[in-house]
Amino acid sequence: MSTAILGRVVATERRPNTPHEFHFWTRLDAPVGIGTIVRVESDRPVNGVLPRTYGVVTEGFGYTDLATPLHDVLGADGDPALASAAPTERTEIRLYTAAVLRHVPEEPLQPVAMGTVHLASEADVQAALRMDGYASGPQRRGVPVGLYRAGGTEAAVHLDADFLLGPEAAHLSISGVSGLATKTSAVEWLLAGIFAHLPPSKGRVAAVCFNVKGPDLCFLDQPAAALADEDRAMYAALGIPAAPFGRVRYFAPWTAKGDRLATLRSHEALQDAVTPLTWGLRETLQYAEVLLNKDDVDAKADALIDFIKERVVDQPFTDPGFLERAHEVRSFSDLEQWFRDLLRGMESRNTEVWRTHHVATIRKVRNRLTNISTRCKGLVTDDGLVSDLPFKDAGFEDRTVYVVDVANLEEDAQDLVFARVVSQLREALEKRQLGVEQVVVFVDELNKYAPADGPDTYVRKMLLDIAERGRYLGLVLFGAQQFRSQVHRRVVGNSGTALFGRMDPDELATPGYQTLAPATKARLATLEKGQLMVRHPHFGQPIFVRFPRPAVLTGREGVERFPPVAERPLEEALTAQLRRLDPTITLGWVQDTLALAGDDEDGVLRARNRTVQARPDDVKAFFRAQLRKRATPEVAGRRAPAPLRTPASDDPYG
Amino acid sequence: MGPTYGPSEGAASVRAVLRALRDSGLTPRAAEAMLEVQRAADEPPRVEAAVPVEGAALEVRAVPGAPVVGFVAFLDGIQRSRVLAHAGPVPLVHGAVAAAVRLRTDRRPSTWESPVLSQRLYAPLGRLASDVVRTLAAALPLTDTESESTEGPEHPQELAARALTAVQRTRESAELTLVDAWVARGPGPLLVDGGISGSAAGSASDRVVGVVKSHRTLYAAPAALPLVLDLREGERTTAVRLHTPRRHAVATWYLRLRAPAARGPLFGLVRVEAALGDDLTERADRISRWLLAERAPVALPDARWDVMVYGVRECEQYLSAILR
Repeated sequence: MSTAILGRVVATERRPNTPHEFHFWTRLDAPVGIGTIVRVESDRPVNGVLPRTYGVVTEGFGYTDLATPLHDVLGADGDPALASAAPTERTEIRLYTAAVLRHVPEEPLQPVAMGTVHLASEADVQAALRMDGYASGPQRRGVPVGLYRAGGTEAAVHLDADFLLGPEAAHLSISGVSGLATKTSAVEWLLAGIFAHLPPSKGRVAAVCFNVKGPDLCFLDQPAAALADEDRAMYAALGIPAAPFGRVRYFAPWTAKGDRLATLRSHEALQDAVTPLTWGLRETLQYAEVLLNKDDVDAKADALIDFIKERVVDQPFTDPGFLERAHEVRSFSDLEQWFRDLLRGMESRNTEVWRTHHVATIRKVRNRLTNISTRCKGLVTDDGLVSDLPFKDAGFEDRTVYVVDVANLEEDAQDLVFARVVSQLREALEKRQLGVEQVVVFVDELNKYAPADGPDTYVRKMLLDIAERGRYLGLVLFGAQQFRSQVHRRVVGNSGTALFGRMDPDELATPGYQTLAPATKARLATLEKGQLMVRHPHFGQPIFVRFPRPAVLTGREGVERFPPVAERPLEEALTAQLRRLDPTITLGWVQDTLALAGDDEDGVLRARNRTVQARPDDVKAFFRAQLRKRATPEVAGRRAPAPLRTPASDDPYG
Repeated sequence: MGPTYGPSEGAASVRAVLRALRDSGLTPRAAEAMLEVQRAADEPPRVEAAVPVEGAALEVRAVPGAPVVGFVAFLDGIQRSRVLAHAGPVPLVHGAVAAAVRLRTDRRPSTWESPVLSQRLYAPLGRLASDVVRTLAAALPLTDTESESTEGPEHPQELAARALTAVQRTRESAELTLVDAWVARGPGPLLVDGGISGSAAGSASDRVVGVVKSHRTLYAAPAALPLVLDLREGERTTAVRLHTPRRHAVATWYLRLRAPAARGPLFGLVRVEAALGDDLTERADRISRWLLAERAPVALPDARWDVMVYGVRECEQYLSAILR
């Protein structure tokens, strides 16, 4: 246990030691700095035991015997060069303040005793961070978060899965400035650690990541372009394979035009793992509150929406007094027809009230609801076709990442996706029907979804609910944000674990960081990529660690290697999409088939969506049948079949 | 110096002395200022003529060449004396003494060999009750100050002054011990804070130089005194021979380390002591260059910064730290 003496504990009346803080001095060239973990050994037994104290350096001081800087100026005749040429160096001290991580034994809790200070060994780091209780042995449940490195010591730092994923505590908050804090990389690294180290006794785990900007999370299944030897060594030291995620499923809505998926992972070579994300009326109406703000929906409108949800949607509805026919509303277009029929009926009967609902309210609700499919086009379908995450029938797979790409959606639509996905996860976890026992939900830009100020939105309420109750269900929130101070304090306050990358100095000046020493803040403001400060319930103080570059392709590299498909004519896009199901499909076949269907673009897209979802054995026949379903009534009555087109000679797929 | 009794040197910390005094039935008194602070000047300032040994008469000489680093170590000693109790009119004085050589390596000082430490109780033992002496001797090292002066009044202040003299001699003895050790084993030129004429070996060695900062006695013929007081920065006087009955002969000269400007004639003025020898001019110039090189860093915030080199201040700080 005994290693070379690094320093010696000192205490004065003006700067006394306490049970939580102590001071020590070292040689000038001692390998100690902010964040270094040290061990104090006392030679005075308490209750027959020699006390040992572990601490982490939080502040450093250096000074000489000068009473004022002016004396140095005078002594050097105002010339700094002369000062450094003096034959004797002034007496100088390196004095450090350390925050106590752990006392051994824990009782009686006394001020840190005078004693010798030693650099912490690997075993000391384990003891200091209380990892000896969970990072090894039969109760092993440690999740590596990084390597502690200081003074030649390198030690793995583990988080306690019970406090990261629940049930004891849960949730993770990661903060830092954009571009330098490596927030996304840290989450990718941590997920890899969870997948590699979570013991079977803790159950199955999956991750749902919302890609809210750019291509950040679009290439998690692709190997990194280059991984340095040092990074590989860290992977090896922490027992995590230096490989991309083995199972990743992508979900993205269509673009508003519908010709391609709204994701930067649209390269043909990567399309197999991407599933369209489309919802119909029922899925959307359930979360209408997300899209309709209080100005839109007053109590009267709310009552009508509830009526529609409970009495109209997904069931036969008749009202001979007002409606010309029976309705079965299953899509937005059905709903629009229902509204039109109802308003026409009210108009013909010259009444302004239907079942206590005023015509103005009905018109307003019609306007707001039918407008949803326009605002969220590509995500919300008129015809009710649903292509969703596998919430039902235990569809989630163990150690799988589900990426929901909402980066190209409008803000409202992003909120809708977020609210519905998380709510569905919660419901499925409650019913134990998800297929996994724990789901990590990663949300970037948390200050946008759960802001400290601003309106109390549905999404924020939901995030608060997860933060406060999710751990009992296995629903764990990994939230990232640039400014922790701008996230609702109940969300960050409920995060058992917090990671900090490089921080903005202005952010560090906010009250949330007042417990950190100035030197610790200074280090936070200058952290390099790949360095984090970690707070965890078992760690008495924040600890600095390093982690390797993720073993996955970065968004920027991914977009260069797999350029997203450019906008192209519908026929070409359709050909590429259907060829993934049936390689014999050519542009010519598509052009001929569409010619038969006429110019109903929406109908073509609907047929494409149904075909892609159904993945039939006979793709051509199925697609044609879907086209016919929509096209036939119009074509038969009003339009002559278009002439067959000649396949283009420059068919890129033929 | 009188006979000593009791345990080994360095055992009589103030706390130990207080405990022993209580055991002896004496009542420790409230803490007072150290005797070194209380004591008034013990002799009046004076001017004393000395025999020139560098030329026929005292002259002023500009130190030739640029300052150059020459000293490898610094020696200093400190003392603290405090009356801790009275047995009737007899003061019982705790004296603490420390001396050390700080060796400079790569511009950083460290302690050469071991410092010399002493903490004792000083008193005229013959004036104390025998049982008190026995009790104290069993617990503490004692020094009898009676032999400092065999006759004289029993005025408590006079007795305290005798004790202070005894402490002072202990300090000088500690310093001389180190000087002798340095002459025997030291690796280069040593700067001693104070005179070196008390040491036979030191006063004869070309590796020991004494620097005297106080000038209660100015060694110059009255006519030559203005030469000393008007020295400019970087100038020295020629050397004179200094020899008193109980000390060894040395060469000494005055050197102005810093320009006095309006601060008075003694500002920045030091008296240097070195061994006599044939090459005195060359040696005195060389030693003066060494001393001029030691003007930086300045010894501030010490009040004597104009005449104290930083190595001595550092040594003094070290001694203050270890003499607890």
